[in-house]
Amino acid sequence: MPRYGMVVDLKRCVGCNACTVACKAEHGTPPGIFFTKVFEQVTGKFPIVHKKYVPNLCYHCTDAPCNKVCPTGASHSREDGIVLVDDNQCIGCRACYVACPYKNRYFLPKGHLKKGYFGGKLTPFEEKKYSKYQEGTVIKCTFCADRVDAGQKPACVVTCIAAARIFGDLDDPQSEISRLIRQRGGSQPLSDMNTEPAVYYLEG
Amino acid sequence: MNNIPLVNDEFVMGFRKQTEWAWLIATAFLLGKIGGGMFLVAMFLDNPLGGLWGLLVVAVGKSAAHLMYLGRPERFWRVLMRPHSSWISRGIWSMISFIVFGLLYLAPSFSWLSWLSVGTDGVLFQIIMVLAALAALLVMVYDGFVMNSSPAISLWNSALLPILCLFYSLLAGISINLYFIGLTGKATTTGLAMIKNLEIGFIALNFIIVVTYILSMVNANVASKESIRLLLKGPYSIAFFGGVILVGFVLTLMFSLFLMGGISLGLLLGLVAADLIGHFFIFFLLLRVGVYCPILGKLSY
Repeated sequence: MPRYGMVVDLKRCVGCNACTVACKAEHGTPPGIFFTKVFEQVTGKFPIVHKKYVPNLCYHCTDAPCNKVCPTGASHSREDGIVLVDDNQCIGCRACYVACPYKNRYFLPKGHLKKGYFGGKLTPFEEKKYSKYQEGTVIKCTFCADRVDAGQKPACVVTCIAAARIFGDLDDPQSEISRLIRQRGGSQPLSDMNTEPAVYYLEG
Repeated sequence: MNNIPLVNDEFVMGFRKQTEWAWLIATAFLLGKIGGGMFLVAMFLDNPLGGLWGLLVVAVGKSAAHLMYLGRPERFWRVLMRPHSSWISRGIWSMISFIVFGLLYLAPSFSWLSWLSVGTDGVLFQIIMVLAALAALLVMVYDGFVMNSSPAISLWNSALLPILCLFYSLLAGISINLYFIGLTGKATTTGLAMIKNLEIGFIALNFIIVVTYILSMVNANVASKESIRLLLKGPYSIAFFGGVILVGFVLTLMFSLFLMGGISLGLLLGLVAADLIGHFFIFFLLLRVGVYCPILGKLSY
């Protein structure tokens, strides 16, 4: 069984947010909900200012705190490491939302699935996509589990114009992501939290 | 490292505030601590009326606040599924145990509950008493463990948090039981003096724990430092100094000292109100000023 993970090459990311849009199109998330996004990070003082783009998504942690705090078992990890929320079991207590150190979960409040991007009635696309969500539950990035099960890569990976996102099997030492992590010293976000994220950043 | 901004924007790196758990969760936490504290102190003072009210506060008030907060309240029973890993689940089990054993413990004291009574002489009653006290204790402290189990918010990762819950709970229990005793006029002069002294002692103890907690968090890491900045110097400082320090400690202490001169229902009511306002504010603010670290933990290049 593979253990899926991702490497994000920060030297390659140009901050175009194509991944954000591809994710939106794939999952049809309601307004204000982004399973992936790109953070802008500005440091320094004028005239020496540095801007960096940091793509962000659920890190599908091996030791996921969201799973531990979930009182119903709705938040769970598959054998391949993908962390999912079973919305038929979720009670909307938001313990997972609070426990995620990366703040990568969203709560769908009552009435949120009636609001589309264009005001008034939902578009046929929104109607179709929203039908898989339940109000009053927590939703999150699924690593495009449906696509992965069908042998495809996540939408954000496929669409990235700079090939900054690389998806693969962390347990396979020959996979591209394992090689990149080894060669370029991939770092996990907030590694001191001991959550063992399956997403690594390449900064050097 | 000192220039990390506090951001609301989805697309900008920086500290992010915890926004999901706010006043409704703070109310549920407050009611649990009040109820558990009332019951435990009532056990100690042999004041069944206070114990019954404590039980009602948890059974009705705390449960209702939790149900109102849930996104899917009709599935609330699912919360019982994972006591082996989730403190929320453990908390709900402790609430159920508290209600069951609490009722059995109080049954001999109320004629309308006598059908539940197992008598007061046997070993069974002693066991029920211990179980009721343990369950009440868990209801009082589990909120602290719920917050503690979220590694995301550094401010909450302190062993002092459950202790803070315990002592605030006991203080609330003493204040409200003092009110009930004043209302019914059942206590002896010596007994009353002891409770008043206990009240003052717990106010001082709570103040020491709050100060220790804040001091221990100032330099724990950048996120907890930011939380403390928000609490002491930021937008929540007025609520902290006004609600927690002025009303919660200074006013409660003043009312307690005035009570030394003699019992007055007005003073007792003021004491309970001031104590509970301070109690609500400290935990509400601890929820509100929780911040998340930036995902790379630093903003450097």
